[in-house]
Amino acid sequence: MSLFSLLSVSESGMSAQRARAELLVENLANAETTRTPEGGPYRRKDAVFETAPADTPFSSVFETQLGQPQGVRVSQVVVDASDPERRYMPGHPDADKDGYVAFPRTNPAEDMVDLMGASRGFEANVSAISAVKDMIQRSIDLLR
Amino acid sequence: MATGLHEHRFMLDPLASKLEHYMDLLSARQKLVASNIANADTPGYKTQDIDFQAEFLNATDGAPVNPVEARGLAVRNDGNNVSIDREARLLSENALRFSIATNLMRDQIRSVKMAIEEGKSG
Amino acid sequence: MALPISPIQIPATADISSSIALPASTQPSGDFRGVLAGAIQNVEQTGNAATKAVEGFLSGNGQELHSAILAVQRADLAFELGLQVRNKVVSAYQEIMRLQM
Repeated sequence: MSLFSLLSVSESGMSAQRARAELLVENLANAETTRTPEGGPYRRKDAVFETAPADTPFSSVFETQLGQPQGVRVSQVVVDASDPERRYMPGHPDADKDGYVAFPRTNPAEDMVDLMGASRGFEANVSAISAVKDMIQRSIDLLR
Repeated sequence: MATGLHEHRFMLDPLASKLEHYMDLLSARQKLVASNIANADTPGYKTQDIDFQAEFLNATDGAPVNPVEARGLAVRNDGNNVSIDREARLLSENALRFSIATNLMRDQIRSVKMAIEEGKSG
Repeated sequence: MALPISPIQIPATADISSSIALPASTQPSGDFRGVLAGAIQNVEQTGNAATKAVEGFLSGNGQELHSAILAVQRADLAFELGLQVRNKVVSAYQEIMRLQM
């Protein structure tokens, strides 16, 4: 079952990168959001990755050859706690009594780069699944 | 790996045993590549590998394979040293070598089968 | 694919090899029986290993698929060989019987 556990590992990679991408897209979409249901401007979110044992539904917990297969998961979502950016815009509907509007502290350029990274990471996991499927198929072909 | 499996190595040996060991190592390596790829953005994660040459020369199979930390990789700010390019290359190479091994193995099986059937007549 | 592989049923011929009276110069009976016994043992051992390997794979204990498949191939080849050996023994016996008529 060893090669099959690889599928779970890569799947966890895909999930993690997708979750990361979703947060990045949310950051980008809300770069100018001054009003949120929780009150105040939008606050940036970051996904934190952590190594986690991959799910092995068809095999026992003790993979005797290499130990537990190491996948990944999003251990937490960090919400930016820094002070929002204040811009002087007296006519704005969300302006406070001094005429300042609180804007999200985001870095769209950095988020774009990270998004590309998440996409690349996602694709790499997809390639891994494809490669192992090929190896499994060739093992089966030995029976011919 | 199930213990005792490699005790009965009749038929096809010795080439087939070596090929099988080779395939075992390739599978083990590929598992680590997958973990490295999944953890390419995990803070603090260090690239894992196996010492392929050493493991292959150490022909006592059935023994567990030891993962080691890959060396010579640049560490980034978050402590991660996974190089996606390196992993992508290894991914392809392992799969290719595995394919070569299975083809050689199939050939071997076919040869032995033919040799057995050769004795059928006469 | 024969799984589980049942042992070759050749109790009769195993006895025969010792009772075949061949001229001394062409007497291979000792070696012949050894070959036969070896072939049977081969079939049993590779067959057991194959069953064990496949079960190992299915139960998810870390057994690699390619190893299980190779074990099955080994068992198949051993069976094939054993079959050929048996056929040879049987035809040799029949030949002898015919000569004695």
